[in-house]
Amino acid sequence: MRVWLPALLVLLLLPLFLPRYPVEVLTQGFILALFASAFNLVFFQLGLLSFGHAAFFGVGAYTAALLVTKAGWPYLLTLPAAIVIAALFALGIGFFSVRTSRIYFTMLTLAFAQLLWAIVHKWYAFTGGDNGIPGIPVGGFAASATGLYYLALFLLGTGLYFLYRLDRSPFGYALRAVRDNEARAEAIGLSPFGLRLSGFVISGALAGAAGFLQVAWQRSAFPDFLYWTKSAEAIIAAILGGSAHLLGPTIGALAFVELGAFVQARTEYWPLVLGLVLLFLVLFFPRGLAGLSGRRDARG
Amino acid sequence: MGFDLGFFVQQFLTGLATASTLFLLAVGLSLIFGALGIVNFAHGSFYMLGAYLLFWVVRGNPEGLWWGMAVVAAIGLVLGALVERIFLRPVYPRPEHHQILLTYALLLVIEDGVKILFGSAYKSLGPPSALSMPVWILGAPFPAYYLVQILLAAAVAMLLWLLLKRTRVGLWIRAVTQDREMLEALGVPVPRLLTGVFALGIALAALGGAATLPMQTVSPGVAVEAVISAFIVVVVGGLGSIWGSLLGAFLIGEIQAFGVMIWPEFSIAFVYLLMAVVLLVRPFGLLGRPPAVRT
Repeated sequence: MRVWLPALLVLLLLPLFLPRYPVEVLTQGFILALFASAFNLVFFQLGLLSFGHAAFFGVGAYTAALLVTKAGWPYLLTLPAAIVIAALFALGIGFFSVRTSRIYFTMLTLAFAQLLWAIVHKWYAFTGGDNGIPGIPVGGFAASATGLYYLALFLLGTGLYFLYRLDRSPFGYALRAVRDNEARAEAIGLSPFGLRLSGFVISGALAGAAGFLQVAWQRSAFPDFLYWTKSAEAIIAAILGGSAHLLGPTIGALAFVELGAFVQARTEYWPLVLGLVLLFLVLFFPRGLAGLSGRRDARG
Repeated sequence: MGFDLGFFVQQFLTGLATASTLFLLAVGLSLIFGALGIVNFAHGSFYMLGAYLLFWVVRGNPEGLWWGMAVVAAIGLVLGALVERIFLRPVYPRPEHHQILLTYALLLVIEDGVKILFGSAYKSLGPPSALSMPVWILGAPFPAYYLVQILLAAAVAMLLWLLLKRTRVGLWIRAVTQDREMLEALGVPVPRLLTGVFALGIALAALGGAATLPMQTVSPGVAVEAVISAFIVVVVGGLGSIWGSLLGAFLIGEIQAFGVMIWPEFSIAFVYLLMAVVLLVRPFGLLGRPPAVRT
């Protein structure tokens, strides 16, 4: 608490001193942070590596985009819808996926996400196909860069506080019990399937909120939001920042986005730089990754 | 529209040609997962690299295709061995997500590396002049080069089968998927064996990529699509199974060929649907073995 109150104060005051571009970059960082934290709920608390979280991010984004453009909803009011619809998709995908484990869970979530991507990518009549939905009017205070910054910060903060409470709740302990020893958890009366599914749905809902924010940031929605490389971004952010710590994915996401903005301003070869950084970290600083030193590997 | 046998056969053979490419791409991924226990996200990148290398080796001249493909496969072998030695060997004892992060990093590096080396424009190469005319099968035209792709995949499948079932090294490769420690205890040079398997898998992916160049253009973006296709094939067929890769490639090639006729816009969705159904009904793949306890 001692560290993050001043940090929060700094983040609240920053837009007053920064020009527009750095504010926008930070906002993108918050959005990825929320997405990565959502992913990390499944990765760390459930011990399952999802390669399909882009599906919920994308569903949240398209829910907001479609409600604004087709039904004329004000942007801010689409947030509950984005969360609920993303949670419903997570319920459907999770119902089938959380029964499997390890590499099969990873592959199944990937398959479902790619299935949704393929539909969004081709369904021109409804989702705009590969053109996406451009020029989405964003009203309210989210219309300005500073307003969106505070909205993203607020949602990230709320999401993290929620995850913090979840981590310490009996529900959080039950999730980790299932992760660490399924047979024992079952023997003391916990339902592994129900717990995993609940965790997965909550994670999907949070990812949907991140997708909702992305729509305002880009004023558009694109099929890329559901593509598997988007899922990879959350994975990279969570693992780089340290999945065992509540703020790990946030730190990883901010580092990822800030580094990305810095490199992209200088060269078009951002993937190359990111790849080299990842190679270097994995090979030479395995402990700097993941905060693994303190983490029991549930899937090992 | 009446039933047209010629058209049906044409679609079937087109599906078979797609399947041939998918098999070359996926069988290496499957072998590597079986022996090394690593999900290689960079597999599609080597496939894409293979196509670029062919273009570079033959300097855009379609007549050099045959020796060009041999050279590309050889480069793939060397490149695969180097990558295994330098990057993969240190991460074998690490958790799965470190390995995934590492191969994903390779994917990023290769994608941009190709842009720097070859430019980001599309590259294409027609088929050699001897194969540029279509063959007529039951009154329907069919690109002659597709037959080459089908024969190439069939030959590779046969050679792999001979390698795995009829040679000592093949016996080791099958054994290492079961119990690495026991094999080490028996005095088999396991590290060298793993290098060999990875190099072979990469060479096959590069060959597969090179073999598509006469029919398809290549761009750096091909890699991320290819690796997903390869995943689907091995997941449907069974991770670690050669025949599974063949069956998975066949099913997916044909689903794409006929799916286009039924519902053109969403033919790719059929493929993901097949994968999801197989994972639900038989999570270890159609021809895969239920996961053994690994030590």
